[in-house]
Amino acid sequence: MVPSLATAALLRRPLRTFLTALGIAIAVGSTVVFLSLGEGLRQAFSQELSGVGPDLQVSFGDLQTSSFAEIPELPIAYADDLLAAAERYGIVNLVPILLHVRSGLSPGSAIVFQGLPADADVASIYVDFTIADGRQLAAEDEGAMVAVLGPQTAERLGLGVGETLRLNPRASFDVVGIGGGAGGLLDNSVLVPLTSLQAAIGVEDRVSFFVVEIVEASKANEVAAAIMADYPELGVQTRAELLEVIERGLAISDVVRLGISAIALIVGAIAVANTMLMSVFERTREFGVVRAVGARPRFLFGLVLLESVVLSLIGAAVGVALGFLGAWVVNLVSLDLIALEVAAVTPRLVAFAVAVAAGMGLLAGLLPAGRAARVPIAVALARE
Amino acid sequence: MLRGVLIARDLGKTYRAPSGDVVALAGFEHAFSEGAITAVVGPSGSGKSTLLNLLAGFDVPTTGGVWLDDLAVHQRSEAERASVRLRRFGFVFQSFNLVTVLTARQNVELPLGLAGAGPAQRRRRADDLLRRFGLAQRADHLPHRLSGGERQRVALARALANDPDVVFADEPTGALDSVTGREVAAALRDVAAEGRTVVLVTHDESLSSIADARLRLSDGRLAATEHVPSRRAAGGDQVTVREDVKALAPAAVPR
Ligand SMILES: Nc1ncnc2c1ncn2[C@@H]1O[C@H](COP(=O)(O)OP(=O)(O)OP(=O)(O)O)[C@@H](O)[C@H]1O
Ligand SMILES: [Mg+2]
Repeated sequence: MVPSLATAALLRRPLRTFLTALGIAIAVGSTVVFLSLGEGLRQAFSQELSGVGPDLQVSFGDLQTSSFAEIPELPIAYADDLLAAAERYGIVNLVPILLHVRSGLSPGSAIVFQGLPADADVASIYVDFTIADGRQLAAEDEGAMVAVLGPQTAERLGLGVGETLRLNPRASFDVVGIGGGAGGLLDNSVLVPLTSLQAAIGVEDRVSFFVVEIVEASKANEVAAAIMADYPELGVQTRAELLEVIERGLAISDVVRLGISAIALIVGAIAVANTMLMSVFERTREFGVVRAVGARPRFLFGLVLLESVVLSLIGAAVGVALGFLGAWVVNLVSLDLIALEVAAVTPRLVAFAVAVAAGMGLLAGLLPAGRAARVPIAVALARE
Repeated sequence: MLRGVLIARDLGKTYRAPSGDVVALAGFEHAFSEGAITAVVGPSGSGKSTLLNLLAGFDVPTTGGVWLDDLAVHQRSEAERASVRLRRFGFVFQSFNLVTVLTARQNVELPLGLAGAGPAQRRRRADDLLRRFGLAQRADHLPHRLSGGERQRVALARALANDPDVVFADEPTGALDSVTGREVAAALRDVAAEGRTVVLVTHDESLSSIADARLRLSDGRLAATEHVPSRRAAGGDQVTVREDVKALAPAAVPR
């Protein structure tokens, strides 16, 4: 009987139910899309760092400000200092990296250049790195204007092996290889010899950061502390810290996006409350009869609460579908612009959206349910 | 069969309104006979519905009280009164008394479900009752597809679902033609014959003639208690209603 009563209540005014569910669907859908942005970035970064991330990353000063600084700040001389004491620190490998972004007219035409020693073992830094076409950089390339393109960059720019990629009016690189696609940020980069890039942008002896491989990955914290004790001006980040920094940034942006979504969700909840209040009012007589034959107040309270939650969940189901669609569209655009899928609708995001909708239905149903439970029987029965 | 005795003592209800208090019922005393139909009659506004609302526990009195055996119904909470209605009372109202979105069978099953009966048990009992009232073919119909007489018979079936001691009927024939009205009246007689107390509120003099006793209300007061001789004769061992009150009240009713 409860299913019959609840179903009938929702089908009583189908258009009203539809519009209310649509409101929730849009609220939940926009929440899913908003939050999927964070999930997508989270996936991109953790893929990048868990597979390929360095044990340590050394920068000049604070990592967050210096790594992507316009002008690289870390003097390359520190590499020699650190390598000289490699045994003491437990350093196995150290690769200086120079990041340079060629901004374009539109965000989509931006290109990330990664300068690294041409003889560096790229596979030791980027574990899954493979070559799909042409060749890898080699020691004799140092100082030469050659480049290996990440597959997505190659596709975006429409460049193949043998063609030329321009950095600035004074410098162009010949494409000698195309990466095979390991996923993550490398696919969107252009790898060039370090000294070639330094010369091209006019920073002779500086890089953005060093990536460092150590003997015992579990000793990362100790090694970082030892280096910083010797060189207080350097910032040394372990992989865990790096992930933490990124996670913290994403969490802050989650809160911001959730805040925006909350407005839509609150509006949705008010729509549900309003619909349920009207529905309870229209059924005063029916509720009077149900109470007269012996239903406790609690029964009607539960019935209306159930209806409210079901209504919200119907909206949420449609909303999650809309969210998938929205995230797909966002990715279409972001793939085109920055060659990255920034949106991901993860299972935990779906679970979160459904839980929020259920909670919203519950909250929105409280007032109408209280009304239903208190329908005065004598007055309700006297109504025509 | 001995069932619960419904007793009203000094029952009164005053509605408080900004324009002045309305005394809808005052000093009403009566013990309703088991196995009999007691009709409550009186002109419009005399307090009939008010009385029924108090007896059934829909509303609480401002004076006096209602006892079912030694249970002080008026002192119970909303939830407890609901439980008394569910298990010991049955209701038939003038019209619109079925839940419109439930089928005939579901309407009969409603009190059974509320009382915690399982699906199989519910269905069996509902079908028995629908058969008894000649509605076996109508079990899956929604109320709007039933005639007025059929609806009232579904209501009767629902009223009897939990085997109540007292059945309240408020103008049960008010929306029916005379032929179907007589069918419902006959059904009420059967209900009383099962030993149940039937409280029948009506304007309709011809319907009240099926009653064993008639309580005439006027201006919120019990103006007269009339007995229908033929019924009294048929009823056999019933005592006069007035004597009934006197006999039961002091001992059975806690003050
Ligand atoms: N909720 C209320 N608030 C104020 N006054 C009320 C209320 N309900 C009933 N009354 C008044 O109480 C008196 C008795 O009303 P009641 O409905 O019991 O009469 P009735 O005998 O059932 O009349 P009818 O035959 O028309 O149904 C009337 O004067 C009525 O106006
Ligand atoms: Mg009335």
